[in-house]
Amino acid sequence: MSTVTRNLRVVRRMTAADIAQQSVYRGAWIIFMLANITMPIISLLIWRTALASGAQLPVDERYVTTYFVLLGFVTMATSSWMAGFLAQDIRMGKLSSWMIRPASLLTGFVANNLSEKFLKLFALVPMIGIVWWIFRDSMNIPAGPGRWVLFALSILLGAMLVFTIDILIASLAFWMDDVSALVQARVIIASVLSGAVVPLALMPSWSRGFVDHQPFRYTVSFPVEIVAGQLTGRELLVGLGIQLGYVVVFAAIARLVWSAGIRAYSAVGA
Amino acid sequence: MTPVISAHDLTKTYTFHQQRAGLGGALKSLVRRKYETRLAVDRVTFSIGRGEVVGLLGPNGAGKTTTLKMLSGLLYTTSGELQVLDHTPSDRKHDYLRRIALVMGQKTMLWWDVPAMESLLLHKDMYGLSTAAFDRNVAELAELLEVEHLLNVQVRKTSLGERMKLELMAALVHGPEILFLDEPTIGLDVVAKARVRSFLADVNRLRGTTILITSHDMDDIEALCSRVMIIDHGRLQFDGGLDDLVRTAQPRKLVRATYAAPVEVGHLDGVTGVTGVEVSGPTVTLEADRERAGAVMEQLTRLGPLVDLDVADADIEDIMRDLFLRRSTLGDA
Repeated sequence: MSTVTRNLRVVRRMTAADIAQQSVYRGAWIIFMLANITMPIISLLIWRTALASGAQLPVDERYVTTYFVLLGFVTMATSSWMAGFLAQDIRMGKLSSWMIRPASLLTGFVANNLSEKFLKLFALVPMIGIVWWIFRDSMNIPAGPGRWVLFALSILLGAMLVFTIDILIASLAFWMDDVSALVQARVIIASVLSGAVVPLALMPSWSRGFVDHQPFRYTVSFPVEIVAGQLTGRELLVGLGIQLGYVVVFAAIARLVWSAGIRAYSAVGA
Repeated sequence: MTPVISAHDLTKTYTFHQQRAGLGGALKSLVRRKYETRLAVDRVTFSIGRGEVVGLLGPNGAGKTTTLKMLSGLLYTTSGELQVLDHTPSDRKHDYLRRIALVMGQKTMLWWDVPAMESLLLHKDMYGLSTAAFDRNVAELAELLEVEHLLNVQVRKTSLGERMKLELMAALVHGPEILFLDEPTIGLDVVAKARVRSFLADVNRLRGTTILITSHDMDDIEALCSRVMIIDHGRLQFDGGLDDLVRTAQPRKLVRATYAAPVEVGHLDGVTGVTGVEVSGPTVTLEADRERAGAVMEQLTRLGPLVDLDVADADIEDIMRDLFLRRSTLGDA
């Protein structure tokens, strides 16, 4: 049996067990997802009010509406919360019980990410459906499946990108006593530069070159832009290429840092 | 015997920074940190043959757990050569990891919130076991450990002793050739300890599993190990049979004679080559050289009508305590 097949089986087994465990907390998922969707809805209402009041924006009402309706879903789908937990496992020596078994050390985190997202979808999709239905007349809805397929692909790449950035940050725990400040910094920086707070299309024109090409755009904003409808076919392909490139580059760096970190691992505790 | 573990000049150092307690110390460490290097394992050389059960002993902080972690691939060695099952453990190759298991008495491999069977099934996928082999192993181990009724109970609802049995089961379900055990009976009651010991002896006997065990419980060592290695201050201080250890560390035997009537101390003047003579009513206790123990006993029989005569080695626990105390005093000097 190949390593990939074995790890996939392990992930499948762990995801199923995680879903069984986590489904106990269904109330918590609903509250989480309500919180997740509240911010984009408030932003949506503010920006629509601004547009209605005559504010001159580089995007129209349909773009803003589509953007914020999809934002909660994309943010959830590409999110990762492993950095703090993985860093804790490294620092407290909990990685040891995985290191002595023949499976990737990250299978547990991949499974946890997949299982929680699976459960969150159950809570989130109906909420987004309701918001969608309310604003259905002022949204950009691409005709045909093409853009939706690219949207799904871009979300997958975005999720991989966030996950690898998390591994990279957590790996620093092999040398640092506490990486929580870095984790928090990543969250704050990402919330602005990913477009999770304000659409990147509304950023000042002088910042465009940087904003359009920095990696965090490809974790949230870019997948939403695919549907919200401002990208030309060429921009879309170039964007997907850059997104894939970032995944490869960050994965390579994370792998290097991780490998060096394992050498420094002190397996604290008995 | 073909060695399955071979270590030559195995060395491990740790680097850490020191910080004084309190706010002053914390602020100072922000600006300037004092790093120190500690030698945890110091040029240790040994080899272990297939099927051996070896006890790795030493006081806290002696380097035995660090040694175990290097052997199981958790830690890279700083220098020296280490081969286990023809692998360098720190490479953590799949072929190596599927042939070993490590049980740490204070760390768990089991999922806490689901029945142990879920963790066993996870191991089935991890180790690529066929359903037939998995079912056979689970049945055999569950019977030996008497845990059939626990397999479908949430792990967090089991007792400490039950959990250790389930840990051992999870560690052995893939049939490892080498089992590393770090304090497997810590915190267990006497019944659970006895059960775990007899299970490990069965595993060694029935499967030929090589076992390397660290424990502070000398009963574990006496029950399981034909060979012990003593590590202290990172150095291998002794490597041999348990009997050899007793002979080396405690060359005298303890003799206790109980007579029908109280004994007068003056009667013992004729008994030669003994030390630590104590007389308490009809009971005489003394220490004699191993070689002279027989002659001393014969002399004791002549002192009066005997009710009981007993000769014994010193308790292994006492020997270890004396040994560690002596070494730590030497180390501190």
